[in-house]
Amino acid sequence: MKRVLLIVVLAVAAWLVARAPLSAQRGPVSTPQRIVSLVPATTEMLFEMGAGGRLVGVGSYDRFPPEVATLPRLGGLLDPNIEQLIALRPDLVIVYDTQVELRRQLERAHIPMWGYSIKGLADVTATVRTLGERIGMAPAANASAARIDARLRAVQARVAGRPRPRTLLLFGRESGSLRGINASGGYGFLHDLLELAGGTDVLADVKQAAVAMSTEMVLARAPEAILELHYGEPWPDARIAAERRVWSGLPSLPAVRTGRIALLAGDEFVVPGPRVTLAAERLAAFLHPVQAR
Amino acid sequence: MSPAFLQVDHLSFAYERGAVARPVLTQVCLEVARGSVVGLLGPNGSGKTTLLRMMSGVLTPNAGTVRLDGQPIARMARRDLARRIAIVQQDTHSTFDFSVLEMVLMGRYPHLGPFELEGASDVALARAALRATGTAAFEDRRFATLSGGEKQRVVIAAALAQSSELLLLDEPTTALDLKYQLEVLAVLRSLNTEQGVTLVVSTHDLNLAAALCQRVVLLKEGQVIAHGPTSDTLTAANIRALYDVEADVQLHPRAGHLTVVPLAAGR
Amino acid sequence: MPPAANLQSPERLLVPVRTRLLWTVAGFGALLVAACLLAPLAGSTHISLARVFDRSIPYADNIDAQIFFVARLPRVLAAALVGSALALAGVVFQALLRNPLASPDTLGVSAGASLGAMLAITFDSGVTLLGLSAVPLASFAGSVGALLVVYGLSVVRRRGTSTMVLLLGGVTLTALLSAVMGFVQFMADFTQTFRNVRWMMGSLDVAAYAPLVAALVPMAFAWAGIATLPRVLDLISVGAESAATRGVDVARTERVALVSASLATGAAVSLAGPVAFIGIVVPHLVRLLVGADHRLVLPGSALFGATLLIACDVVARTAFAPLELPVGIVTAMIGGPVFLWLLFRRT
Repeated sequence: MKRVLLIVVLAVAAWLVARAPLSAQRGPVSTPQRIVSLVPATTEMLFEMGAGGRLVGVGSYDRFPPEVATLPRLGGLLDPNIEQLIALRPDLVIVYDTQVELRRQLERAHIPMWGYSIKGLADVTATVRTLGERIGMAPAANASAARIDARLRAVQARVAGRPRPRTLLLFGRESGSLRGINASGGYGFLHDLLELAGGTDVLADVKQAAVAMSTEMVLARAPEAILELHYGEPWPDARIAAERRVWSGLPSLPAVRTGRIALLAGDEFVVPGPRVTLAAERLAAFLHPVQAR
Repeated sequence: MSPAFLQVDHLSFAYERGAVARPVLTQVCLEVARGSVVGLLGPNGSGKTTLLRMMSGVLTPNAGTVRLDGQPIARMARRDLARRIAIVQQDTHSTFDFSVLEMVLMGRYPHLGPFELEGASDVALARAALRATGTAAFEDRRFATLSGGEKQRVVIAAALAQSSELLLLDEPTTALDLKYQLEVLAVLRSLNTEQGVTLVVSTHDLNLAAALCQRVVLLKEGQVIAHGPTSDTLTAANIRALYDVEADVQLHPRAGHLTVVPLAAGR
Repeated sequence: MPPAANLQSPERLLVPVRTRLLWTVAGFGALLVAACLLAPLAGSTHISLARVFDRSIPYADNIDAQIFFVARLPRVLAAALVGSALALAGVVFQALLRNPLASPDTLGVSAGASLGAMLAITFDSGVTLLGLSAVPLASFAGSVGALLVVYGLSVVRRRGTSTMVLLLGGVTLTALLSAVMGFVQFMADFTQTFRNVRWMMGSLDVAAYAPLVAALVPMAFAWAGIATLPRVLDLISVGAESAATRGVDVARTERVALVSASLATGAAVSLAGPVAFIGIVVPHLVRLLVGADHRLVLPGSALFGATLLIACDVVARTAFAPLELPVGIVTAMIGGPVFLWLLFRRT
């Protein structure tokens, strides 16, 4: 009987230990000084509004601004390093909507977090404003958002009234061939940027962020301009020329006839942060080249 | 003296399992005259199946040679060897749903060219083989659906269809009903007397050996302990030495051949 | 004594193999011809055949012609090539391994091809050779690498061992290569992972004739090897030893079968990515129709595999028009239930 009692007591004790919080209770801090941002977009937003000094940890994919090189790297969207993160004793962790597992773990550790998601271009400045409010830097954040809006509107104004080319925007394909075309669909901040920069998205009716396009689809949509975005360093001229030549397999495309094909590289196309202005300007420069006087 | 039809000279074989070699056959010698019926007798593990596999050329010995009409079978072309020697093995398993007739027609392979299809004569031979083993009614049945005994008879038919001079059989009657044991016995006997096919039969069934075989070879633990005409070699003393069993061996008046009645297990 | 009445029924007239072979090839061949003629006409975009063949319109301006000759026709040809290659490889592997559940994926050749493609996609170098991008070349190289490992296993095997060694080796190799692929995925960034995943779903959208011609090279060797196999596969599937006693050179046959089926698999996977179920289901479906004789099953599977994949590809590109399903999903959605049905039937 005594043995049974002992086992029951041990079992209850084990259950209580498992449920214990990992650290002392903490309420949300109104001006957090130790912020963790695992996604490049929010890291850039923080630096842009002047809060870069408060960052104690960033994600593995963060590359801008150069100051991030000195900060500890804690993994990415899908695989954050929880232990390292907690060891930094952050008082705010910025999480993306889809990081469910991370949110659960932060809750258990009673670490304050702030969630966001970016579906379209408008969400970028909205996020800047709400983030600024959360960290107690509303004025600087609002100013940052205003600057972003102004530059975007400037782009929009410059291309207003110009004929809008039907544009195919794609993220990637197999090098040297037209297989595996992965295009940007009629949804998401890139689509919004394209429309803002004075282009008509040939895939506007396909409400997906990414579309696997078949050759037949490309021929049927007959884009007048083709823009290929790729991640990483810009390619050497020889390679760019070779990749542009691949499109000559589809001579009926207006873009091929007029040679309106460009290959661009740059983080600004994949990070929905303050540098979307740069992305918008580069897109507009391709679609509507500034006329030399 | 002309060489025997099938001559086995000092055959030795051992399975290697790492550093330990387990001898299966040691210096086995035997001769089979053309047109004769020879029985291989011995307990489980005596090496009968291995010996038959070596006679058919499927397994290569460590030492010694097997000769057919004086020529070592190791040097003969596979196809030629297959035309002259057929073997009935104990277990046959078909991965796919071949019909009985298809299984038997495969026995015609050595007689056909590389891309030659079976002709009417091949089909006729196959059907004759099925009739001889009493399995003609199963021609269209799937081989996999037959009982053990029926499969055994079909396998014998396939070997018959191979039209070989020498037929090796490994326990051909173990799975069979009494009636079919006698039928197969009759088929083999007529094959030998009417068509001159040489037979080497490995069996547990001492009475089958007595009924069918003119000569017997007694194999114990991989070595030949006795061989010779059945009447001289199938004795109580030899049976005691081979199986450790007391048996009575009598010439049965109605059967016309020796019969063996086991009496008691050894001391 | 009067001649005994023939109490047995007269012997059934057996349809000779030659006749059955003719019917098999004619029947499945007709299906394939029909598929090849109809498939290029189907698609998410409406095109007019008259315009396609209208010589007066310059090719560069003729959208219909480009859709037909660049988007659709190479696809149909690729489907025929890949479908027949995988079906043939499936038949040969099932006989070689004496296992009706074997497929072109069993021995790891498919996994090798996938790893090669994945490495090429992840380390995107932009290298092209003779009009082919790095991915199909690396993919085929990967399949050859896997074949070398398995071939080494089959040569090292001692006499009298079963196909168990080959099966175990293949399963282990597949697991090992899958682990390496997982590692490559782990090191890759987002876009590469996305492209890897898409490649693994299979796609017949070759959009060019060069990859088809390139795939024909290993296929020619595969066909040459497989052409020697039909009757011996029958014999081997009943047992290696019984085949040997009937005059078959079992070791040589197994090597030819292994290399031919692996070359066919490598060619198919490097062209279209791994397409599920064709290699395992088509042989069984064909056997249901023509029986187990490999002299019928091999040509029948080659023709029917081509037809089936062409049909699956038409479904893939029209079911959710204008979007396309990866063809591997269509084959799995059709092949999976068919395979389950076949399994239920066996028990």
